[in-house]
Amino acid sequence: MNNAKKIETWFDLVRILVAVLVAYAIALVILALISDDPLYVIQQFIVGPFSSFRRFGNILSTMIPIIFTGICMCFVYAINKFNLVGEGAVNLGGCLSACVAIALSNKVPAWLLLIIVLVVGCLAGMAASLIPALADQIFHADVCVVSLMMNYILLYLTNYILKYRIKDPGSSITASYKWAPALKFRNIIPKTSVHAGLIVALICVVLAAVLFYKMSFGFKMRIVGLNPVFAKYIGIPVVSTIILAQVIGGAFAGLGGTVQVLGMFSSYQWTALTGYGFDGLMIAVLARKNPALVPLSAFLIAYIRTGADIVSRTTDIPPEFVSIIQGIIIVLVAAEMFLSGFKRRLIFNSAKKALAEKEGKA
Amino acid sequence: MNIRLITSFGFSVLRLSTPLIFAALSAAVCQKAGLFNMAAESMMLWGALIGVIVSGATHSALIGFLAAVLAGAVTGVLIWVATVKGKADLMLAQIAINLASSGGTIFLLFALTGEKSNSAVAIKSLALPKIAIPGLKSVPVIGPILSGHNILTYGAIVAAILLSIFIRRTKTGLHIRAVGENPHAAESVGISVPRIYLLAWTLSGILGGIGGAFMSMGYLTSFTKDMVAGRGYIGLSASSMVGGSPIGAMFCALIFGVADAVSNQLQLTNAPADLVLMLPYIVTIVVLVVISVINYNRANRKAKA
Repeated sequence: MNNAKKIETWFDLVRILVAVLVAYAIALVILALISDDPLYVIQQFIVGPFSSFRRFGNILSTMIPIIFTGICMCFVYAINKFNLVGEGAVNLGGCLSACVAIALSNKVPAWLLLIIVLVVGCLAGMAASLIPALADQIFHADVCVVSLMMNYILLYLTNYILKYRIKDPGSSITASYKWAPALKFRNIIPKTSVHAGLIVALICVVLAAVLFYKMSFGFKMRIVGLNPVFAKYIGIPVVSTIILAQVIGGAFAGLGGTVQVLGMFSSYQWTALTGYGFDGLMIAVLARKNPALVPLSAFLIAYIRTGADIVSRTTDIPPEFVSIIQGIIIVLVAAEMFLSGFKRRLIFNSAKKALAEKEGKA
Repeated sequence: MNIRLITSFGFSVLRLSTPLIFAALSAAVCQKAGLFNMAAESMMLWGALIGVIVSGATHSALIGFLAAVLAGAVTGVLIWVATVKGKADLMLAQIAINLASSGGTIFLLFALTGEKSNSAVAIKSLALPKIAIPGLKSVPVIGPILSGHNILTYGAIVAAILLSIFIRRTKTGLHIRAVGENPHAAESVGISVPRIYLLAWTLSGILGGIGGAFMSMGYLTSFTKDMVAGRGYIGLSASSMVGGSPIGAMFCALIFGVADAVSNQLQLTNAPADLVLMLPYIVTIVVLVVISVINYNRANRKAKA
């Protein structure tokens, strides 16, 4: 029995690696086919992200927002609810934080304002996520549809706030007033774009992992996700657990929006959905719903994306080809049948061996 | 109010609703089979791109249109392969396909033409014809609203009616509904569930592909990056609001079309168009909640009785 379980755990890891390799191989073939200088492009794509300090920094700074949404989706995915509001929560968190930052700049000390702004981001994300969660648990409406609609509502709401409430008329692009420069996250690695948000992100990873594996709430949540009926019979409040998990997830996504806005910009400028929410789902899938593994899978995605950015800058191939890689990885990881014959053979062989040993002893 | 303003508004409602109707029908077929179609977005994107490419290459709008339909259908079948053959989670597979499609379409456009966001310069693609209805054309007010649309606008209405008849009146339609109600029960009376799923995804892909063809060969006359812009999701909610009834889904899509047209008008004035654009989504959530509560209570009462 134990042996089979061990095989399954290892197998999960191997499967993800194989999925990534297959996706990579397909991407390389495509790149080679359309490029005039395939060797150069492939070299840029694979080695490029590690070829200079600044580029490596780009991987780290690309990781920051998707760590937050990845944690968000770990919570949502753990209870098997497809609440996809992370996308909108990022925008709302960023936008409302920007509003507060602009309104209170130079009125309260910077450290206090920073705390207020981060809290606002969390609350915004919680509120965004609460609506689909309630619609699902109280009114039995499909959480996925409601959350997709919420994303558009939040996008237009934040656009309205940006264009009609906080827009700086002096700016040539659609951007808000600037907040106090003291609020902007400082660079933590010189000569790169890595800002202090990375530290916040890693603290959040630890918090989420503790919540998941060291506290009773996390345990209850995982039981509910595995088997809601069983959870109900052993006395876990299923409805409130499901809602709470989504709200906590939303808080991380909202915070992610705040951190990204404060780290990368000096005024609020988002007029479209960022895509971080869907990235988060992919990261949660790769991390097997385990928040502790989120930085690892975020690093992988950020590495792929940085490579694509380099390729698109040094050649004229559009960076969007990354999303093909991402799509293939998700499908292969999600498909149970992918390599399942291999797994069965492994388990069968180990069982046969164990049986033979037993008989040998007897 | 000016008559011309009313007629031009009415005309734009129908024009803006057309892709939404196809998206809604695409979601409705799946919903009737008990499937959740988030991927109309991808079907439309591929339909839009392939339609432009093929019509440009063959100098035939008809062949371009057929290729767009085929592209949509292939997208649908891909989802079927991933979820039924590969046993992938339905949601994850569709999110993956949506991701891959939004990048994949841009990439294919680039690989073929070197353009990254718009096909207009590189591909001389054709548009589908507009149709003036002879008798109707000269009727005041109604004439200018209803006549002179792209052939696919009329096609959308015909498709909704045909789909409704297909699902309600034919044996295959009955099978689709049976699988949607309870796949295990349907299987026990000898209906092949995977085959019904394949049919539903193919039909859904065809409808999505037509919607995409309208986007790039009617609404606009070229392919632009991410041109579907959430219309697939709007179709999904239009269909969920009415439980997958094709005719109902069509009317819901029209409501979204009205909101679109109103916000377009408001954008010309100084009113906050963003708030108007929010309205249809808020309405969707409210209606969805109300309908879900009604359905839940009804199911509960049945269970008690």
